[in-house]
Amino acid sequence: MITGYGHFVQLAESLQWDETDIVYSADREAWPQLTKSENAKVLGLIAGFVIAETSVSGQLGSYQAAASRDDAMEAVFRAQARDEARHARFFDLVSAEVACVPGANPAARRDALRAHVSTEFVDLFEERLPATAQRLAEDHEGLTAAVGLYHMVIEGVVLLAGQHAMLDALEGLSVGLPGLRKGMELVLRDERWHIGFGSRIVQSAAIGRDEADALLEQGETAAKVWGDLITTDAIETAVRQHRRRLKAAGIKFW
Amino acid sequence: MSVGGQTQTKPETTRWICVPCGFIYDPEEGDPDSGIGPGTPFEDIPDDWMCPICGATKADFRELEPGEFRRTEDAES
Repeated sequence: MITGYGHFVQLAESLQWDETDIVYSADREAWPQLTKSENAKVLGLIAGFVIAETSVSGQLGSYQAAASRDDAMEAVFRAQARDEARHARFFDLVSAEVACVPGANPAARRDALRAHVSTEFVDLFEERLPATAQRLAEDHEGLTAAVGLYHMVIEGVVLLAGQHAMLDALEGLSVGLPGLRKGMELVLRDERWHIGFGSRIVQSAAIGRDEADALLEQGETAAKVWGDLITTDAIETAVRQHRRRLKAAGIKFW
Repeated sequence: MSVGGQTQTKPETTRWICVPCGFIYDPEEGDPDSGIGPGTPFEDIPDDWMCPICGATKADFRELEPGEFRRTEDAES
């Protein structure tokens, strides 16, 4: 059972942070000292987050509009949109000021970063998620299915697995990146309530067998979009947690 | 239940909320997927148990006050 929507609004208000308050000077000094493989791993994960967070922050308006008949739910979507915009700014800031990704603006840097992730990853965030949001904008009745993709699959599987992979990678680096680590921990803290919120919406919906099977399958497929950037063990863990989360949200499997 | 002409209500079991994600651990339900059977008090759950929704640890939970979250009404709000 998940708590009521009011919990998330209060929680979000208490967890606000500013990406520009984080100090990145040590990160800027350490970045050139990363080994080639360390650079590839961390830059690949940063690339994924830049693409993912930019996409999700741009699509959330359709979800908020679809929830407009429920003031409490809409307020939570509004709070989440504020978080997602901050996450997008944070990862762009790191890519520009720490990783020195070329580009005069976020869009140009994002263009440069696409080569660091798989085509499946780009497709999920720049094709499938916007398509789902577009369908939702046209038909607000599809909110539960859209939340299933956004909160349960993208946030609960893809982004959560990536966040844990990044924190593990930072732990094992030959040099420290404390600013990136601090921001990642704050992003992960925000994502926990986003996933709880999505689970709360799913909990309230009557999810049938076909929808449950589709959610499981989407999670299993999505877990692999990071490619070599996360380990096979991490993928299996993400899928296992996905199934457990769906069950805890009240979805029954047959 | 009525005893001696007075209505007795079953005392509410202590439930715990995962502050980071809002999941509520109800001892009456347990968490069978993780081997935590129905009827297991939160205090008896192993320390390495994690929230089934967000993966937070036991330390991230706090005790719910009696009546703070009603099982049916709040769940539907």
